[in-house]
Amino acid sequence: MLPLQSEVLLPERIAGILGLSGTVGQIVGGLIGAFLIANILLIQTAVAGPWAKRKITAAFTDRIAVNRVGPFGLLVIVADAVRLLSKELVIPEGVDRPAYDLGPLLVPFSALLGFAVIPMGNGIHLADPETGAVFAFAASSIASLGLVMMGYASNNKYSLLGGLRAIASNIAYEIPLIVTAVSVIIFTGSLQMSEIVAQQTDPLLSVAGVTIPQWFAFVNPFAFVLFVIANLAEVGRNPFDVPEAPTEIVAGYQTEYSSVYFVLIYLGEFIHIFLGGALAATLFLGGPAGPVLPGFVWFLIKIWGFYLFTQWARSAIPRLRIDQFLDIGWKGMLVLSFANLVLTAVIVGVIA
Amino acid sequence: MSLEEPTPEDGAVEVLPTEGDEIAELLGDLVVDREEHVNAPGFVIRPDSVQETLRRLRDEAGFDHLSCVTAEEREDRYESIYHLTSFDDRQREVSVVVPTTKDDPVSESAEPVFRTADWHEREAYDLIGIEYDDHPDLRRILLPDTWQGHPLSQNYDQDRPQIVTLKEWENPLADDHREDAGDTMYVNIGPHHPATHGVLHVKTVLDGEQVADVDPDIGYLHRCEEQMCQTKTYRHQIMPYPDRWDYASSGLLNEWAYARAAEDLNDIEVPEYAQIIRTMGAEFCRIASHMLAVGTFALDVYGDFTAIFMYAMRDREKVQNVLEELTGQRMMFNYFRLGGVVWDLPEPREEFFELIRDFLEDLPEAVEEYHDLITGNEILQSRTIDTGVLPPEVAKSYGATGPVARGSGIDYDLRRDDPYGYYDELEWDVITEDGCDNFSRLLVRLKEVEESAKIIEQCVELLEDWPEDERNIQANVPRTLRPEDDKEIYRAVEAAKGELGIYIRADGTEKPGRFKIRSPCFSNLQTLPEMSAGEYIPDMVASLGSLDIVLGEVDR
Repeated sequence: MLPLQSEVLLPERIAGILGLSGTVGQIVGGLIGAFLIANILLIQTAVAGPWAKRKITAAFTDRIAVNRVGPFGLLVIVADAVRLLSKELVIPEGVDRPAYDLGPLLVPFSALLGFAVIPMGNGIHLADPETGAVFAFAASSIASLGLVMMGYASNNKYSLLGGLRAIASNIAYEIPLIVTAVSVIIFTGSLQMSEIVAQQTDPLLSVAGVTIPQWFAFVNPFAFVLFVIANLAEVGRNPFDVPEAPTEIVAGYQTEYSSVYFVLIYLGEFIHIFLGGALAATLFLGGPAGPVLPGFVWFLIKIWGFYLFTQWARSAIPRLRIDQFLDIGWKGMLVLSFANLVLTAVIVGVIA
Repeated sequence: MSLEEPTPEDGAVEVLPTEGDEIAELLGDLVVDREEHVNAPGFVIRPDSVQETLRRLRDEAGFDHLSCVTAEEREDRYESIYHLTSFDDRQREVSVVVPTTKDDPVSESAEPVFRTADWHEREAYDLIGIEYDDHPDLRRILLPDTWQGHPLSQNYDQDRPQIVTLKEWENPLADDHREDAGDTMYVNIGPHHPATHGVLHVKTVLDGEQVADVDPDIGYLHRCEEQMCQTKTYRHQIMPYPDRWDYASSGLLNEWAYARAAEDLNDIEVPEYAQIIRTMGAEFCRIASHMLAVGTFALDVYGDFTAIFMYAMRDREKVQNVLEELTGQRMMFNYFRLGGVVWDLPEPREEFFELIRDFLEDLPEAVEEYHDLITGNEILQSRTIDTGVLPPEVAKSYGATGPVARGSGIDYDLRRDDPYGYYDELEWDVITEDGCDNFSRLLVRLKEVEESAKIIEQCVELLEDWPEDERNIQANVPRTLRPEDDKEIYRAVEAAKGELGIYIRADGTEKPGRFKIRSPCFSNLQTLPEMSAGEYIPDMVASLGSLDIVLGEVDR
C-alpha cells in the first residue's frame, strides 16, 4: 500500500524537484503547489457544476440531460463557461461598490483556502500546521462574510433577506459542526490533519480476515451523522437551502449578480460542497485511506460521494421553513452535538 | 322560516316559481320588480338596499354563496346582478338585479355582506364604470390605474390612445417612502418571480420574515376575453376561447362551461353518448390539471427543480396523449360543440380504449408514489399542516370553490350538486378534508385524481358497449343561433379550480349582449391575504401554490 502521508509536503517536494532551497524554494514551491491544488479543485467544480449536477438531477427525475456536446455531453462545460463569461455584467444602480465586488471573490477563495490543510493523499498536501482543523473551519467560515456582503451591498430586498438568512443559518449550524468535529479531536488529541488521518489507519477490529480501520465514522457513527447534517446546512443545500430559496426570495444574496460574478459565486458554492466533503473525509473517513486504489483517488471518491449526497438531498427533500430550520439548528443539532461531545469526553477519559 | 332548511316536503327545491314567490314574500318592499332568468328568479331592487337584501337572503333564506357579480350597461341603465346560490343546495338560485341610472351609476356595495364582492365590484367598476358606495377599496383591478374610461361601457372610445403622461400620474421611478415609518419592509413579489405561477404581483409588507399584509395585484394577463366573446357568434366562434382561460390543460372543463350555458340558453339537448364522451374528456382534463397543481405546489415547497415536478409532468403527459388522440390537440382542444362534441372517438376504438386502460392501470401506482414522495414526507407535513388556514366560514364568504373549498371541509361540488353531463349516473365521491390548510388542499387534489379515474373507467365501459348505430355525437343545432332578446342565464360547471360560471344575456342577435365569466381562480385568489397574514413568507408562497391559480383565468 502506498504511504498515505508522505513526510514531505507538496511545496517542499516541488522545491526539491526544481532544485531550489531556503526561502526562495518555500515561496516558489508554495505558489506552484497552491496553483496545482486550486486547479485540481477548479476542475472538480467545472465537472460538478455544469455537467454532473445536471446529470445527477436528471437521473433522479427520469430525464437524460446534456448529451449533445461532446462525449456524454461533457463539452457542455466549455460551452457553459463561454456562455456565462460572455454575458453582460449588470451592476444595478445604488449598489455598495467595494462590498458588492468583494463578496463574490470571498466565497470561492475562502473555500479554496480551507483546502490548504487538507491531506489529499499521495503527498498532495499543501501545509500541515498544528492547528490544521481549526484553520480549515475558520477559512470556510469566511464565506459567510462574503454572503453578508453580497446580500447587504446588492441594494435589493431579496438579497438582504437572503444575506440575513445565510448568516442565521451559518451561526446556527457552524457551532454544532465544530462541536462535533471537536469530539473527533478528543480522540486524536491533535488538531494536525496529518495526525488525525494517521490515527485512523489503526485497525479497529478484524472480521474474517478483513481489517476495519479505525475511521471515526465507525468509531462514532452518531457524530458522523451529526457532522454530515450540519455540513449540509453549512453548504446550504436542501433541506437547508433557505438562504437561496428560489421560490421564496428569488435567489437570495445572489439575485443581483450576473456573468463573471455569478460564476464566482457558483464556483464558490461547489468548492464549498467539496470542502465540506473533504472535512468529513478527513475527520471521519480516514482521509485518503482506502484499499487498492491510490490515496488521491480515494480522496476524490469520498468528496464526490458527499457531492452526490448533497444532490440527492436536493432532489428528494423539501425545504424547511426558516423558523423550523433555525429550531432544528439551535434546539436539536446544538443539544445533540454537545451531548455527543460530553459523552465522547467521558468515554475517552474513562478508557485513557 | 321554511326556506332556512330546505326540506323535500315544502317542495321549494324543485319548483322555482314557488320559491320565487316565497323569496318575494321574504324580501317584501325591497323588491321593485321581478325578472325571470333562465336559471333563477330575478328580483330588481333599489341601489341603496343591496346590503339589506343580500343579508336577508343570506341569513334567512340560506343563500350563502355569492357566486358572481355581473355588471353591464344597458340602453337606459347600468345593472349589477348578484348571482346568489347556496353551498348546501346549489340548485337553489336567485339573481338580485340592481339597476342604477345612467348619469349617476352609484350602487351600494355588497362587500360588508359577502367579502367576495370586493374584487367583483372592483372589476365592475373597472370595466363598466359602476361605482359602489361603502366599498372599502374601489380601485381598478384588471386595468392599470392610469387607464382612461371603462372599456365595456357603451360610450367607450376604443380609438382613444391610452397614453398618460407622467405629469398626470406618479413617476414609477420616484423614490419610495412607504417603509420609512415603522419596522416593516415592503417587497414586490412578482410580477416576475419564481413562485407566482405566471404574472401575478403580490404587494407584500414584511415584518422581519413574517407577512404583515399582502395585496394581490392582478390584471397583467387581461386579454379582454369577455369582450372577445361578445363579438363572436354563439354557434362556433366562441368555443375556442374557453381553452385559453385556464390554459393549464383544463380546456375541456372550460369549454363545458360555455357549452352548458349556451345550450341551456338555446334549449339544446345533448345526446347521451356525447355527454359520456364529454364527461370522460373533462375528467382527463381534471387529472392533468391536478397533476400540474400538485407538481407546482411541490415545487413551491421543495424549492429546487425536483423529482416530484417531473413525475407529475410525466403523468400529465400521458393524459395529454390520450386527449390528443381524442381531440387532436394537446392543450387548446376546441373539441366541444353546442349540442355535443365535434367528432367521435378515434378509430380503431379498441386501441384508444387500450391507451386509456393502460393509463388507468398505472395511475394507482403513480398516486401511491406521490403519497410516498409528498404527503408522506415529514418535512412537507410540517411545512403545510396548519399553514395557510382558511376556515370554512371565511371560505364561503369569499366564494371559494373547488378543491380550495373542499379542503376547508365545504361539501360542495357542482358535478353532484347541480348535475350535468353524465355525472349523476356514475359512481364516485366528492372528496372533502377538514384540515382547512395547505395540506388538506393538496390531499383533496390527489384524491380527486383517483375519483376522476373512477369516472373515466365507468365512461370507458359505457362507451365500449354503446351500440354502433346509436353513437350520436351531436344534436341537431341550427346553423345560426339567435336566442330571444333579454333572455339571461347564469350557468356554472365544476372546473378543475372550482365553480366556473358563465353569464350570458342574449340581445336577439347571434352574438351575446353580455358575456361574463365567473372565474374560480379569481375568487379563490381573494382568500390569499386571509390565509397568509401573520405567517412566514414560505407559507405565503405555499398558500399561493395550494390555491392553484392560473393567471389566464384570473385576469381573463
